[in-house]
Amino acid sequence: MHAYGTNGVINSHSSLLLRSVAEELKLPLLQIGRDAELQNLASANIAVDLKRIQNNADMALLLVDSYLLGLELNEAQAELTLEPVSLSGALDDAAHTLNQFAKQYDTTFELASSGKYGPVMAHAIGLKAALVSLGYALVSVPQEETSRRQVILGVHQSSSGLVAGVYGDFETLAHTHLKQARMLCGRARQPFRMLSSGSAAGVFVADTIFQAMHTKLNVSRHQKHTGLAATLQPSQQLALV
Amino acid sequence: MAQILLLEPDIVLSRIYAKALEQVGHKVSSVFDAQAAINVIDKFAPDLVVLELQLPIHNGVEFLYEFRSYAEWQKTPVIVQSFVPPSEFKLTPSLWRGLGIAIYLYKPRASLQQLLNSVQDQLVTITA
Repeated sequence: MHAYGTNGVINSHSSLLLRSVAEELKLPLLQIGRDAELQNLASANIAVDLKRIQNNADMALLLVDSYLLGLELNEAQAELTLEPVSLSGALDDAAHTLNQFAKQYDTTFELASSGKYGPVMAHAIGLKAALVSLGYALVSVPQEETSRRQVILGVHQSSSGLVAGVYGDFETLAHTHLKQARMLCGRARQPFRMLSSGSAAGVFVADTIFQAMHTKLNVSRHQKHTGLAATLQPSQQLALV
Repeated sequence: MAQILLLEPDIVLSRIYAKALEQVGHKVSSVFDAQAAINVIDKFAPDLVVLELQLPIHNGVEFLYEFRSYAEWQKTPVIVQSFVPPSEFKLTPSLWRGLGIAIYLYKPRASLQQLLNSVQDQLVTITA
């Protein structure tokens, strides 16, 4: 009876998350489709940005992969072994992956991991996937054509661990928005209206992965920026580098 | 050719739609949320509005109520082009007409050509 109930909850969460991801994927697929059509409409006058098509396809694939990884990690949560992972390495990898994507959204992507941080206890692939999914969601937040957003992948020390996340000019973002968004994930078209005009699947995929690693997303501030971040526990192993 | 206000929250899609519309000679003003649209309307004076309903902060229906509350914008045609399927858009036909929605395109199934044709149809209707 207990197992049935547990499975029911897991299936319910995964199907809501799947709905959220499916809704989110409509955007990059539509961008790719209409970009290609634009070329056919106006081949003589408009050069279609093939790099943009590639970026959109790549990010869509990463989101699908991260969603599947989140499910796998949650299913194996009881046996999941966390290992010491270089946080600065994970942030660096995520920033590298997101950089091209950010450019097409007129967003400057910065890595702010000043200070020397040792390894944290995490699932190495999961940590990078969570940071990329989160960045994917926050980079595509609607903004004025005339403005240029700065999104920061940052880490800082807090009393409860190392806080790693993605930050930007989302000053009015509050914990209640995140709490409400979690409840609406997969149930509403715009569960996180503060951040996204769509399903904000990247946020929920990241949250799912972090939860498998025994932490979760919170609204956090880093320097003068506000964003979403998770607290990770430092590894007790000596940092050799 | 016409002045078109494009209310589309995604920058990438907005640029694609704007290019397609400009390619056939229209002048496009792109905005990403309802408040920005209200701010530019008087200055830009659109002949037609292309609107996504899923917008940040205020949604497209809220924009429409505000837009239609000004006498000078009550007859401007609006083409809804949205990720929201029409079947989920629970307005009665009379309310739909009351909001002045001329055409409803479901974005995942609407080609650029359909958008251009819809715009052209509406502009012909205005001038007729």
